Amino acid sequence: MTLGGGTNLVPALQTRSLIAGYEPDMPIVRGVDLSVLKGELVVLLGPNGAGKSTFVKAIAGLVPIHSGTVHLDGQDITAVPVHNKIRRGLAFVPQTENIFATMSIYENLLLAAAMAPKSERERRISTLFERFPDLASRPSRLAGQLSGGQRQMLAVARALIVHPSILILDEPSAGLSPKIVAEVFTMLQDINKSGVTIILVEQNVRAALAIADRAIILVEGKLRHEGSAATLADDPIVAKLYLGASATRKAGVS
Amino acid sequence: MNPQFLVDGLIAGSMIGLGAIGITLTYSILRFANFAHGEFLSWGAYIALALSGALGFLFSALKTPVGPFSFGWSLPLAGILAILLTGMLALLLDAILFGRLRAQRGAVIIMVMASFGASLALRSVLEFIFTSKPAYYTKALQIAVNIGGGLRVTPDQMLALALTAVVVFAIHLLLTRTGIGRSMRAVSENPALAGVVGIDVRMVIRAVWIVGAGLACIAGVMAGLLVQIRPYLGHDLLLPLFAAAILGGIGSVPGAMLAGLIVGLSEAAAVQLIGAEWRAAISFVILVAVLLIRPRGLFGRQA
Repeated sequence: MTLGGGTNLVPALQTRSLIAGYEPDMPIVRGVDLSVLKGELVVLLGPNGAGKSTFVKAIAGLVPIHSGTVHLDGQDITAVPVHNKIRRGLAFVPQTENIFATMSIYENLLLAAAMAPKSERERRISTLFERFPDLASRPSRLAGQLSGGQRQMLAVARALIVHPSILILDEPSAGLSPKIVAEVFTMLQDINKSGVTIILVEQNVRAALAIADRAIILVEGKLRHEGSAATLADDPIVAKLYLGASATRKAGVS
Repeated sequence: MNPQFLVDGLIAGSMIGLGAIGITLTYSILRFANFAHGEFLSWGAYIALALSGALGFLFSALKTPVGPFSFGWSLPLAGILAILLTGMLALLLDAILFGRLRAQRGAVIIMVMASFGASLALRSVLEFIFTSKPAYYTKALQIAVNIGGGLRVTPDQMLALALTAVVVFAIHLLLTRTGIGRSMRAVSENPALAGVVGIDVRMVIRAVWIVGAGLACIAGVMAGLLVQIRPYLGHDLLLPLFAAAILGGIGSVPGAMLAGLIVGLSEAAAVQLIGAEWRAAISFVILVAVLLIRPRGLFGRQA
């Protein structure tokens, strides 16, 4: 990195000594310092119960932050309520129930588009439909009738409608078949290439490392290991210690 | 069987339906059964009574009955103000009671009990101010018009039916065609996701209180106009209101309205077929039957 590179020096997202959890006396995230650079695709790994999900939910404003700070493009957003984070350019896609099942595809998108100026809403939705032709075929279909992969597409499409600077996804591959996982990950790579910083929580270690620039490993609510995705992917000790048996089993696949 | 029960049932059903829409909205968005909702009907009726009296006192021309109706312009004007004030009352109640309990993430049963307490307190205040003696918007008597088939309807009753239809249609449009309505449905389905998508859940909650209490006020004024105004007006309708909200399916506005009419017609039919003393039991029977046979109601989501 060269000095004087300008904006690149300000992290897209930075947490400092972040402590968070549902109950005040029971922190699940126990002091995480993380910096994500603009344009990076970072994958957050770790065993079950490590606090990965809680960590990203705390950043999104869904889990109370006990102490520490979250900065977005250099601005402190720690106390910004959940519904205003999206207005600051931080989009979050929850793991489950991430679409409104009783509403149509179009209404799901329209809800998020409400943030954009009125004159732009329709144009943004039609741009998204061009990008996600699967959703465009019948926009009046109820989102609850979509397949798992289509739901994930809709959730991501909805997050993109406000042109976020950073997209955080909590296990987008959960419950999807390997073929659909590959599609979703390719889509995330494309989004990343278009300039959106991405943080991805994943259990699907190999597939995630294949598209990520950098990987972070959380264990027991703390940042335990950090390195380029390529290095981590080839580190058998890391895999064995932190990624669980699934990683070693899948090691030869991709 | 005298077909007149159809008219009585539709009238009662209109009031029950309007009240039940408020219950179903607050239930689906705030996630608790608000037993103080009946008091919004009573308060709406009394606020309109006080304002209508004041308007009539200030401008006596407003007391002259309008066309075939029994009341002057003072009542509709007072009614519009009363809708706003009843909405304010609901917001106040949320600010000093329900909102605080929500912030503590208290159990649902605490909210329900709090609503019981609020209901008692609100009703007592009404009795204290207005006494429990029945009151009326107007002293004028109305002649019922024969509309054929042996059915007799007063102009006031016809107006109430028409007003109900217009209001229900407007609420339906609000929920399906406007941004705030879509936000309400989003919060009803998944409050956490609604926040993530950028919806200010607190603002939606405030809107729901205003809409629910406003509808309750309209139902209360209609009950006051067509029957009489009493502090127990809303409380006595509580069971039919909940029966209709649950029969219609929690969260469904058309369901609540249709179920309100069903409950109203069933009550009126029961009066003729079984006897007037069984009227109040009908809502209870419907409520229990729906909970046993089809807990999600006519149009409710699968739980």
